[in-house]
Amino acid sequence: MMRMPPGVRRIFRLPDSRERLTRELDEEVRFHVEMRVARLIAQGVPYEDARAEALRRFGDVDDLRDYCKHIEDAHMQRARTRERFGTVLQDSRFALRQFRKSPGFALVASLTLALGIGGTTAIFSVVNGVLLRPLPFDHSEQIVELFGIDSKSHPMLNFADRTVDFVADQNRSLSAIAEYNFGGMSVSSGSDAFRVTGSAVSKGFFDVLKIRPAAGRFFMPEEQQLGAPMSVVISHGVWTRQFGKSPSVIGSKLVSGRTIATIVGVMPEGREYPAGTDLWYPREIFEKNTGYTAHNWKVIARVKEGLTVTQASSDVSALLRRLHADVGEATWTFDGMAVSLRDQMVGDIKPLLLRILAASMLLLLIACTNVANLLVARMAVRENEIAVRLSIGAGRARLAQQLLIETSFLSAAGCIFGLLLATLGMRVLLALRPALIPRVDELRLDWRVGVFAMTVAAATAIGLGLLAAWRAARGDLRAALSQSQRTQGGGGASYRIRGTLVVAQLAMTVVLLIGAGLLGRSFLQLMTLDTGFRTHGVVVAALGLESPRDERVAQRTQYFDEIARRAHAIPGVTDVGFSNAEPFNAGSSNGTFVVLSGTNVKLTPQDLMPLFNDKAHAGYANYQMVSGSYFKAMGIPLLSGRLIDDNDREGAPEVALINAALARKQFPNENPIGKAIEFGNIDGDLTPLTVVGVVGDTREQELAADPPATIYVSFRQRPGNDNGSYVVMSTSAEASAIATARQTFRQVRADVPMRFQTIEDIVGRSVASQRFMLFVVGVFGAVALLVAALGVYSVISYLVAQRGREISIRVALGARAVDIVRLVVRQGVQLVVIGVIVGGFAALFATRLLTGLLYGTKPTDPVTFAGMVLTLALVAVIASYLPARRASKAEPMDVLRGG
Amino acid sequence: MPREASDLLHGTLDVLVLKTLSWGAMHGYAIVEWIEQRCSGDLVIVDAALYKALHRLEDAGAIESEWGVSENNRKAKYYSLTARGRAQLRAETATWRRYANAVGRILETS
Repeated sequence: MMRMPPGVRRIFRLPDSRERLTRELDEEVRFHVEMRVARLIAQGVPYEDARAEALRRFGDVDDLRDYCKHIEDAHMQRARTRERFGTVLQDSRFALRQFRKSPGFALVASLTLALGIGGTTAIFSVVNGVLLRPLPFDHSEQIVELFGIDSKSHPMLNFADRTVDFVADQNRSLSAIAEYNFGGMSVSSGSDAFRVTGSAVSKGFFDVLKIRPAAGRFFMPEEQQLGAPMSVVISHGVWTRQFGKSPSVIGSKLVSGRTIATIVGVMPEGREYPAGTDLWYPREIFEKNTGYTAHNWKVIARVKEGLTVTQASSDVSALLRRLHADVGEATWTFDGMAVSLRDQMVGDIKPLLLRILAASMLLLLIACTNVANLLVARMAVRENEIAVRLSIGAGRARLAQQLLIETSFLSAAGCIFGLLLATLGMRVLLALRPALIPRVDELRLDWRVGVFAMTVAAATAIGLGLLAAWRAARGDLRAALSQSQRTQGGGGASYRIRGTLVVAQLAMTVVLLIGAGLLGRSFLQLMTLDTGFRTHGVVVAALGLESPRDERVAQRTQYFDEIARRAHAIPGVTDVGFSNAEPFNAGSSNGTFVVLSGTNVKLTPQDLMPLFNDKAHAGYANYQMVSGSYFKAMGIPLLSGRLIDDNDREGAPEVALINAALARKQFPNENPIGKAIEFGNIDGDLTPLTVVGVVGDTREQELAADPPATIYVSFRQRPGNDNGSYVVMSTSAEASAIATARQTFRQVRADVPMRFQTIEDIVGRSVASQRFMLFVVGVFGAVALLVAALGVYSVISYLVAQRGREISIRVALGARAVDIVRLVVRQGVQLVVIGVIVGGFAALFATRLLTGLLYGTKPTDPVTFAGMVLTLALVAVIASYLPARRASKAEPMDVLRGG
Repeated sequence: MPREASDLLHGTLDVLVLKTLSWGAMHGYAIVEWIEQRCSGDLVIVDAALYKALHRLEDAGAIESEWGVSENNRKAKYYSLTARGRAQLRAETATWRRYANAVGRILETS
């Protein structure tokens, strides 16, 4: 039997191979049996016996039949696979040939896809790194952060030592629990002084995280005793930067103020918690506060294996409610909860990232629409080829396969370019705002990002392939064949589809542009807000003067006076002020203050509780220690009374300034000057303060938030409870002032590390998320605008080509160039009008996503809507004008002959 | 006592068929006769097994088939060796010899 190649059999409608196989096999068997019967008869055996013997000798015919069928089926299966594979190869070669013939199309299409895929992938890689990847700790899903809830159901209350101990003793859901707190410290190792973030951590901290030191060890029980010499664990970063990764660092000393600390271990790389910590020391070496109201500690814990975060949360909640029931007013914590550490870390950024991801998806859709548009145009040009293919018997499935292979090539190229773009894009994103994004060091292109990019590319390929196949398959064969004799490309149906695609694309672009426009306008609003202080020409020097625990007020004052003297000597510097808190940072601390009946009241800590509960005489405010010249340097106006001056020193009556917000809130109908106030337990000094002046409000930390109530005290009078020291200089030349100050300040004391910033840096940091979002959506909007312009341009060019004859005849009959341009542009304008109307309505809904991110701008801001719609319309009209002008310049006879 | 070919080692029938066809194209019945003659009736081949072998070998590309006319003017399917079949025969003959020698040597040493 000669086996036909399966394709041939199908073409010639040959019968099914199994049927034929059975027939032929039976014939073969019959022949064999007859031969044997004939032989036996020749040997003298009677016919009946000979036949019986021959059949017996043959054996099981059914079994043979099954066996052969089985072989044949396997054979056919292999052949079919081979055939399919063959056609795939053939179609791939054809697709590549097509792209070689029109490299422009292939390049534009794959680059457009690359923009979409690259943008989406870059954003996804951030989403992946921040939101999807688990924290780098063993069973990190079991790590929680605990919060107290106060009477106003305000969550996020820190814990007091006693509350932590209570929870640690009584809980049944946590396998480890630890409190920690962090702050800036200055340390020196021999000659080199540097500024670090230090975290005091309690026993159990490293058990909660379940980590091992990269070198050395963590703390021993004897190092976690009250008054024990300080031992520290340093971060991998400090180990690398300051000690060149030397193993001999273990056992060496660090000096911080008057404390000498011994390095006992190195934290493993990338496991720093809380993020940004440079060194860890045992919390237990300092005394514990015995009250339930000193909310100074953050708490992390590990949930017992087998229990969920929710179970742990209800355990903690029940415990704290019980504690409140037991001790009553002694605690302000009414309730509590446990929140997964990862949710806690990424909670703020999550909505931002998801919105940016949505914007990038929109960009991808716009890119796909553009490629779809190009494909439909090509389908129209290739109608002839496709009609021929269909008429010679190519199945529609085969046609679809071929188109799918073409789009797969495009989208694979798009995917590769896209991944390159994503890598670049991610670099830009990281350079742009690393501090905003938690876990930024962990960001990388991993397998999840790869799978995501490939999934997006595959979905794109399938979507586009099916669209092209649908276009190709619905073509009317005869019409296509006859029409293509007359015109290049298809008829009105194709234009309608391309028009629809362009409208969809314009609509989506309008949505992106309006989103970007709203963000931009809101950003402008923020940046032009009156902050209440000077936002230009101020230099802020952070001085790593060691903790006031170690420094006497007089010593610090002396140091500052010397610094101020040198700062005044810097050319261009006008005013020099001191503060214990960075400007725009909501003071150095905040708390409840009380209004006293007079300045002679002698307060004791026991008096405070009833006063706190007297709402008429208690309030909440930020607290900041400053010099009087701080207000001059910052440009904060004095509204009434006087500023702090150099006479408000140790020994003189203690004074305070309040800001207008506090005056309005606490003393609405009276003169606040002369009132006596005092904070409860903010710095351990309970001497009443006399209000001597009212200063202007300043926005703090968040530009969008109202100015908070603030109390300023004289840094010459109060010991302070914080270790921040900031010198603020107003100057006309920031850069040179910084350079000079860096030199001269060191001459006062070389062991104080310094960091200089401009006020723009400080304020700019607070709008980082708005700036980030604006940048990304702005880039997406610009790319979308470009892609949409390309889309309009190509569809109008196509229209011009299609109507080339008509236009030439008009020109030949005397139409002027301007008439032709008007004729063509009108078509473009039609598309634009429909597109922006649809897009404008869609934007009304889509921009609601931005509500939380906008300041002083409504999501339906008519100015932005109108501005963006006009921008897009203008660009689209230009995009349709270019082909129109070309058409009007063409020589009519050339077109007519060429057609 | 004649032995049935199905008792023989797996693959033996295939190599016998290949050897037989190396003499020229034959139909199934002729192959049976040819083998039985050569071994003077020591091997009895079950016909069904022979046809299985033929289809198996054809699928593997070692032999090919064609309908022809037999010596008694009947329509019969003729099988012949392909180049691949010839190579397979050479390889399997060598293997078979080595195998038979090895078994023979062991049996004769006792």
